[in-house]
Amino acid sequence: MSVVERPATRHAAPPPARPTAKKRKSDKTPWLLAIPALVLLAGLLGYPLIRMVILSFQNMRLRELFSGRTPPWVGFDNYTRVLSDGVFWAVTGRTVAFTIVSVLISVLLGLAIALLMRRVTRGVRLFMVVAMMFVWALPQLVAAQIFRWMTDSDFGVVNYLLDKIPGVDYANHSWFVNPWQGWAVITTLVVWAGIPFLAITLNAGLTQVPKELLEAATMDGATPWQSLRNIILPILKPLVTIVTTLSVIWNFGLFTQAWVLRDGHPEPSFQTLTTYSYTQAFGQSRYSLGSAIAVITVILMLGVMVFYIRQMFKIGEVE
Amino acid sequence: MVAVAPAVRRKRAKSTDDGVLTVGRSRAGTIAANTAGILFSVFMLFPVYWVLNTAFKPANEVLSLTPTLLPKDPTFDNFVSAFRAPLFLENMLNGVIVTLLAVAGALVVGFLAALSIARFKFYGRKAIILVVLVVQLIPFISLLIPLFLMLQQAKLTNSLIGVSITYLVLILPYTVWTLRGFISGIPRELDEAALIDGCSRAQVFWRIILPLTGPGLVATSVYGFIQAWNEFIIINTLNSPDKQNLMAWLLQNQTTRGTAWGPLMAGAIITSIPVVIFFLIIQRNIATGLTAGAVKG
Repeated sequence: MSVVERPATRHAAPPPARPTAKKRKSDKTPWLLAIPALVLLAGLLGYPLIRMVILSFQNMRLRELFSGRTPPWVGFDNYTRVLSDGVFWAVTGRTVAFTIVSVLISVLLGLAIALLMRRVTRGVRLFMVVAMMFVWALPQLVAAQIFRWMTDSDFGVVNYLLDKIPGVDYANHSWFVNPWQGWAVITTLVVWAGIPFLAITLNAGLTQVPKELLEAATMDGATPWQSLRNIILPILKPLVTIVTTLSVIWNFGLFTQAWVLRDGHPEPSFQTLTTYSYTQAFGQSRYSLGSAIAVITVILMLGVMVFYIRQMFKIGEVE
Repeated sequence: MVAVAPAVRRKRAKSTDDGVLTVGRSRAGTIAANTAGILFSVFMLFPVYWVLNTAFKPANEVLSLTPTLLPKDPTFDNFVSAFRAPLFLENMLNGVIVTLLAVAGALVVGFLAALSIARFKFYGRKAIILVVLVVQLIPFISLLIPLFLMLQQAKLTNSLIGVSITYLVLILPYTVWTLRGFISGIPRELDEAALIDGCSRAQVFWRIILPLTGPGLVATSVYGFIQAWNEFIIINTLNSPDKQNLMAWLLQNQTTRGTAWGPLMAGAIITSIPVVIFFLIIQRNIATGLTAGAVKG
């Protein structure tokens, strides 16, 4: 086995220097280098993953936690219980619906902002980038707390501003009594926080669209809409696919925003799959039931993950 | 934030960033676009502005039915009261310790692994890359239950060590992936030239790869810092309040202190300042990090 790998850049043609005899002996070097990382990942990610699956077939409660005894095996009991529970299906449906809606809005808006950034003058573009950088830099928890404060029913600025519109009464309006309104707030927060990553990444992609192509299209009488549809979007497609996939993965695992906006105790109508699993385990000490829900969550995400990995290999980012 | 970042950076470094869409450029259109851009930016910045506005208001202005756009009586009281709040300083120190331990560990372990997959060709390399990519996608919260039980058995709950190790593993995949990108960015010809000149492999590592990965190491560790500093679910679950960090402190205070929004927002600002500054710094560094290495070589 040769030690020197082929060049990272795909265009480089000259074959790598033949390894000397001395180098050929140290075949194990790459593994020795990777072993510490692999051991840590296996111990604190791989093993817990297996443990989670095992737990979901047992019945682990507080008693077993304190006594240290092996919890009794219950087979598929946890799964039958979860899957025959209407609450679980409501939570799943809500999580899926939220993911679809929030990702659609975020990606479309992100794309629109990226296109806008190409059209504005330099100074305005800089202002947009700076504004987005600040939002991007904010910790998730802090961003959620700001939204919690702005939507406070008594002293929140959102109610105050809406109340100023003639004929609208939003004084002391509580945003989380009606789940639709509450989810509108959560979605706004998630979209607001997600836009910087999407818009800036897509804008970087847009700079790769050859100017000559667009000029030629305009000369041939293409409308801006046609240029967008037939030139820009096809070139941008791989990048759009990747950021959409990532957004799906992130938004499907929504936890912080729902958790913070509901003060750490999300009502049934504000539970997502992750908060539901967490509350079952750490709120109710039903560790096995929580694990079963977590296993189902990961299985539901598996398709998207496989798609993402395949995309990464396809665009050659993994060489 | 995950693996897509390096691809974008590489592209952006090359671009001239002047490719304004040429289609349909009328003066009125530019004015309309500029207006939309400014409105959008104002909308994005409003929550950031509002947290600053709140934090500098005295209590009676915070809890006012007619909030003002600027504090009438600007004060630092909220910041003072956040610093004096129970556990604030302890939790700040905990956060620093946990974050530094995790980042330092991840950097050492991650650099070696990155070197392995960026510079060697061996059976199983693709498998390692696959593992690194996949583990980034698993929602960590779903692993929290078994992790909690494991650390409980190992008597590592309610300890800073347990959390540090957990954070290390949390930021490790990203660290490996990003450093891999930086190392592949160093022209292999430099290694080969050094080998021909009589360097040993260890010397190539010390004299060429490590110094040229410098900017990459900085950027990666700062990113790791941000991730570890911002985490609160794990530490909140594993540890009691006196062994938590500032993010967990913010969460605790939101639920227990009810309407003390002034000090809470001041605390949020104090907690965010390091990550916001770091983020803004590396945002520049990352773009040049890859090209800088080659030029210096």
